Amino acid sequence: MSRYTLTVAILSAVVLALAILSLAAGPAGISVVQGLSDMLHGRETIAATIIGQIRLPRMILALLIGETLGLSGAALQGLVRNPLADPGVLGISGCGALGAVLVFYTGVSAVWAPALPLAALSGAGLATLLLLALTRGGTLVLVLAGAALGSMSAALLALTLNLVPSPYASYEIMHWLMGSLSRASLHDVLIATPGLLIGSALLFSTGRSLDALTLGEDVAQTMGFPLRAVQWRVVLGTALAVGSGVAVAGGIGFVGLVMPHLLRPLAGARPSRLLLPSALGGAALLLAADLFVRLPVSGAELQLGVVTSLIGTPVFFWQVWRLRGRPV
Amino acid sequence: MILQTDTISLTLQGNRLLNDIALDVRPGEVLGLIGPNGAGKSTLLRIMAGLLRPETGRVLLDGQDLFTMPPEERGRHLAYLPQEAPAAIGMSVRDVAMLGRLPHRRTASAEQNETAVQQALDAVGTSAFADRSSARLSGGERARVLLARALAVQAPILLADEPVAALDPAQALTVMDLFGQCAAQGQAVAVVLHDLALAARFCTRIAVLSQGRLVSIGTPAEVLTDALFAEVYGVAVRRCGEVAVPWSLVSSARRP
Repeated sequence: MSRYTLTVAILSAVVLALAILSLAAGPAGISVVQGLSDMLHGRETIAATIIGQIRLPRMILALLIGETLGLSGAALQGLVRNPLADPGVLGISGCGALGAVLVFYTGVSAVWAPALPLAALSGAGLATLLLLALTRGGTLVLVLAGAALGSMSAALLALTLNLVPSPYASYEIMHWLMGSLSRASLHDVLIATPGLLIGSALLFSTGRSLDALTLGEDVAQTMGFPLRAVQWRVVLGTALAVGSGVAVAGGIGFVGLVMPHLLRPLAGARPSRLLLPSALGGAALLLAADLFVRLPVSGAELQLGVVTSLIGTPVFFWQVWRLRGRPV
Repeated sequence: MILQTDTISLTLQGNRLLNDIALDVRPGEVLGLIGPNGAGKSTLLRIMAGLLRPETGRVLLDGQDLFTMPPEERGRHLAYLPQEAPAAIGMSVRDVAMLGRLPHRRTASAEQNETAVQQALDAVGTSAFADRSSARLSGGERARVLLARALAVQAPILLADEPVAALDPAQALTVMDLFGQCAAQGQAVAVVLHDLALAARFCTRIAVLSQGRLVSIGTPAEVLTDALFAEVYGVAVRRCGEVAVPWSLVSSARRP
């Protein structure tokens, strides 16, 4: 068995175990098997309600959002050939959140529910497009543009919070901005899943093109992989995946930065080989982080985005440390 | 296969880069593209590789317009080796060479791909460290690995932009000899060169570009005359046997 196959197999097993644990973990002492069985047979028991309405949506969303975050990080890093690329670091998640908050704030989402994910998608998509337009300026320009986008979205979000009429609404927005799955519902699953799945499919389809791109844009193009086509797939895929995730779970950062970094030594340097392990690793990380926040540490539940950021920032520092002294 | 440029011209941002260039690269030959800096050699090669569209004129591959050909098919017919190597490819030498088989992903078997890659690695003498990471290679070794990638395509047309610019004389001779072998096996090879001695020694024909125009094309003996050196490069040469060595500047000649 090759190292790649072994890595994928172990990660799959970890994701499966964490998913089961995610269904089992919670204050109500219920049997997962009983709950699932009741749910599938349409029996309206407490176990069925807790599993079907609370824990299953939370597990599905942690799995899918983590998967797409890890995957979009790996794809973005392959596209711009830079290990610092990540939807959070580059401000894509922030712009998605801004879109969603504007729709939430103006009340449009209360009238028409799909407006929320669509606004998040548009925000994330516009940010990715802008970044791609600037990618030709090189690594430094890209990272600076990402920082600018992130700051801009943070400033506008702060402004929105400032203008929110009631403290309750601003608490709602804050809670959601920090990233959380604690109130995940079946409705959220229905809203987010199409975007997450289509985004994933688009991102997975870029593997060979990303491999070709390691030889530079010119060689990739002469081998039959025009840069534009890859860019569009990564932009659309990232926008769909990150936007849908942000719409239901808020800003969850650094998963896309951490996973490719941790898995590259195991999966090898070929970008196509990094996609699946990063996706699985992202799912595992978010499932684990979501289990962690459920631990009764200080009475209040920790926010998911806070935990992933605490894990992610040391890796970010490590990357910057490794890049020091290199020409940009 | 014959790659032909049919009176192509190109203007970019108001600068006339190429002017009515008509030439062809035929199977079994190494065509050297020479000329002073800024003459348009690399631009011409990029057009021949399908990376830039000419403003007027066409690029034909066996009579078929290169720019209307499906990208994947074009990728199988034509291998391009750029002047600048990517900063750092972390993958193994064998994996880099295997990238050359991407255009064949729907048409070749795994065995065919393995064989092509092994042949390419053997040809450039990198088999011994095929499993080493390409990030840990010297400049010369990396240039050879990227050449192996281009050879692994097994394309009838091979286009290389200053492939020996960063190589020591031994490596440069090895690489040029390799192009000769490719031509002997029926490939059509076009190489942008600055080293006129290498061009004279290894090219079947030489095309001389100056200020975007094709000044001369023919065998090295026909093309590399004292008058041409003075006219195009503004230098006087001394002859060492068959090789002309640029010796001094010509003050009266039109400087590029």
